[in-house]
Amino acid sequence: MIEMLSASLGVNANDPTFWMPLVFMGLLFLLIAGGVVLDGFDIGVGVLLPLAPVDERERMLQLLSPWRDANEFWPLLGIGLLAAAFPQGWGVIFGKLYGPLTLMALGMMLRSVSFEFRIRTRAELKSRWVLGFWLGSLATALGQGVALGRIATGYQTEAGYGWFTVVVGLCVVAAYVLLGATWLFMRVDGDLQRRAARWGRHAIRWTAVGMVGTSVMLGLANAGIFYKWSHPGGFVAVVAVWVVMLVCFSCVELMLARGAGGVSREGPCQWAPFVLCIVLYWLMLAGLGYSLFPYLILDDITLWDATASLETMKLVLAAAVVGAPVVLIFNLWAYRAVFGKVRRG
Amino acid sequence: MDIVPLLLARIQFVSSISFLTLFMALAFALGWLLVFFKLCAHGSGRAGWTAAYRFWVRFFALSFVLALASGVPVLIQVGSLWPGLIDKIGNVAAPLIAFGVLSVFILKSCFLGVMLFGQRRVSAWVHTFSVLMVALGQSAALFWIMVLQSWVQTPAGATLVDARYHVLDWNAVIFNPSLGWNLGLMVLWSLLAVAFLMLGITALQALRRPLQEGERCTFKTALVVAVLASASQMPVLNGAGQVMASFQPAKAAAAAGYWNSGAEPSWVVIGLPDSGAQANRYDWTLTSAGGAWLSRDDQQRYLGLDKYSGMRPPVGLTFWSLRVVLVVGALMLLVSWLTAGMSLRRRLDPAVLPRWWLRVLVGLLHVGGVAVLGGGVFALVGMQPYAVNATITQTEVLGSTSTVALALGVAGYAVLYLVMIGAFNGMLFHAARYGVVPVRKTGGAPQ
Repeated sequence: MIEMLSASLGVNANDPTFWMPLVFMGLLFLLIAGGVVLDGFDIGVGVLLPLAPVDERERMLQLLSPWRDANEFWPLLGIGLLAAAFPQGWGVIFGKLYGPLTLMALGMMLRSVSFEFRIRTRAELKSRWVLGFWLGSLATALGQGVALGRIATGYQTEAGYGWFTVVVGLCVVAAYVLLGATWLFMRVDGDLQRRAARWGRHAIRWTAVGMVGTSVMLGLANAGIFYKWSHPGGFVAVVAVWVVMLVCFSCVELMLARGAGGVSREGPCQWAPFVLCIVLYWLMLAGLGYSLFPYLILDDITLWDATASLETMKLVLAAAVVGAPVVLIFNLWAYRAVFGKVRRG
Repeated sequence: MDIVPLLLARIQFVSSISFLTLFMALAFALGWLLVFFKLCAHGSGRAGWTAAYRFWVRFFALSFVLALASGVPVLIQVGSLWPGLIDKIGNVAAPLIAFGVLSVFILKSCFLGVMLFGQRRVSAWVHTFSVLMVALGQSAALFWIMVLQSWVQTPAGATLVDARYHVLDWNAVIFNPSLGWNLGLMVLWSLLAVAFLMLGITALQALRRPLQEGERCTFKTALVVAVLASASQMPVLNGAGQVMASFQPAKAAAAAGYWNSGAEPSWVVIGLPDSGAQANRYDWTLTSAGGAWLSRDDQQRYLGLDKYSGMRPPVGLTFWSLRVVLVVGALMLLVSWLTAGMSLRRRLDPAVLPRWWLRVLVGLLHVGGVAVLGGGVFALVGMQPYAVNATITQTEVLGSTSTVALALGVAGYAVLYLVMIGAFNGMLFHAARYGVVPVRKTGGAPQ
């Protein structure tokens, strides 16, 4: 694979202009994968806030509190790395995504500010910031979803594609809700846990719709991707991934259904739905990455077209080399207890 | 090119950067003043300094949250409003953006948690060290942003080949001609913004009740900072003006309200620039006093706006934002020195100030913030129509986003920014009256 790519570009595989963009792409992919899951459950819990009884809302936000500092950094790091590593493609992508990205930016800003201001404001104003956190979470999820829809349709702008992106946007909201619900299911017990299971069951259908829809659109709207999936080597892998995803969906649904019935007070493996959801989303992302690679914009701009000069890349890589261990240590420390159970009282 | 999308993009970009700059400035200056409070607390052992730290660390935290949260929109706007820009200046901008984001990330992940929530868990000196590191980290982040902001005003050390900048010399890029003065202005205005905030809030408290020791410490510190910083503004402004004159002739002419090349270089103290008539109306002019900040051609003739027809910045806004900065700067100088003079006999204790003077200080609560905003608007608007001075115009890097989407974006940001500024002020006044209650954030371990 590597040899083939480097040969097609006409450069040596050991040439920094060849491997540096790959390293950046890998880092970026890790940041997106981390952000989708870890910022994701945060967004999901935020979207669920108004559905919970008033006295549980405060508790849900307190559950998020230990991870907020780490969670809110994924998008900033991701956008920063995308800008710094692929300046020549960044503007082109962002320029096509003004609407969804603005929605996301407004949402993310409202989310972080609401969370921090809520802690510090006086008691009678706290509920306003809870509302802000909900609105921000919703806007963030919707913005990311519409952006995903636009990417899947290859940034085409005809009317039919517009409706498709809106549907994908809503499905991504559902996907984050599912992630948030399974996380709550794992973290809490009692009444809130049963509620979380019910929310999760509603969300899982729309998540499935979104995933199937995005995949079909990705294949149909872009001939190159369709070829990648259907040629003999790719086909087996694609089918295998689809089977794994189907199994994941069924298992999550079964476990949530049992949880919603309130049977298993101390049932085993309550972390399983959350972990399976992570697997699902990572498979989805991997599929998206596989489909687009080596392009940033399909059939137009490759990774290598989008990079800056070698000198600039070296400086950015130096920053990444300094940053990566800090990111790693900080996150391992911050997330060390993410799977634990919190009991009431 | 339709003019409306360009205008909307400009409004959005300038307001987002202004919001970011305002709260970065507050967080930056508060960060260093908090280091000072901590060191005084260690040195003197008096409880007042600790009380001052406890009160103002709250507003540091709020400013930091706002600055951090508004960083993402600015970054996204750079990409989505000006899609062509990073393509052209990516070689210069990419590492600067990377370093800026990295500085914020390291300071936040390693030190901010200890500073805000870990005071009881670590020893006093470790805590002070983390306060210092947060201040340093913020300075680093501000430095990288200012490098990029200054570089687009005076692009040095790089050359334009095939419509893309290529770096020749990183030293020249980083230490570009306007960096020093811009940094100086930023530091001074940040300090002034925080100093006048502190003076105003302490004066408000002094109007209601006798001050406590912590508030007197705050007042004294803020007054000394205001006296020194407001006096240092003049030489730094003059330096910045001279750099502007040599690199940005159209901006310099717009700032002076100087329409016709070769005319006597008067300094228009106040007036109404009229682009239609190519003249100033209702102006009050000091004759022959405006030459220092104007550009000249080879024959030493002054360059007026008539040389830059079609490529001039919005004259009125450029002219007026500079006037605002100058008036506000003079006001801060006057008020801080008078306050110091009135309270000097009692070692800068606000108790000796008459009540009406305290009210003046309350009224000037946000005056330093206005200077930060005015300076930012002048820098950004004055360089229009360019995105990078003299080489890349905003029009050529503007995206193809529809007017409706841009208008919705402007409205969304406007609402959000107003809500946030309102909330910040609400918490400021509430805290001034009732004090701050320490908050706790639950730790990472399961409870």
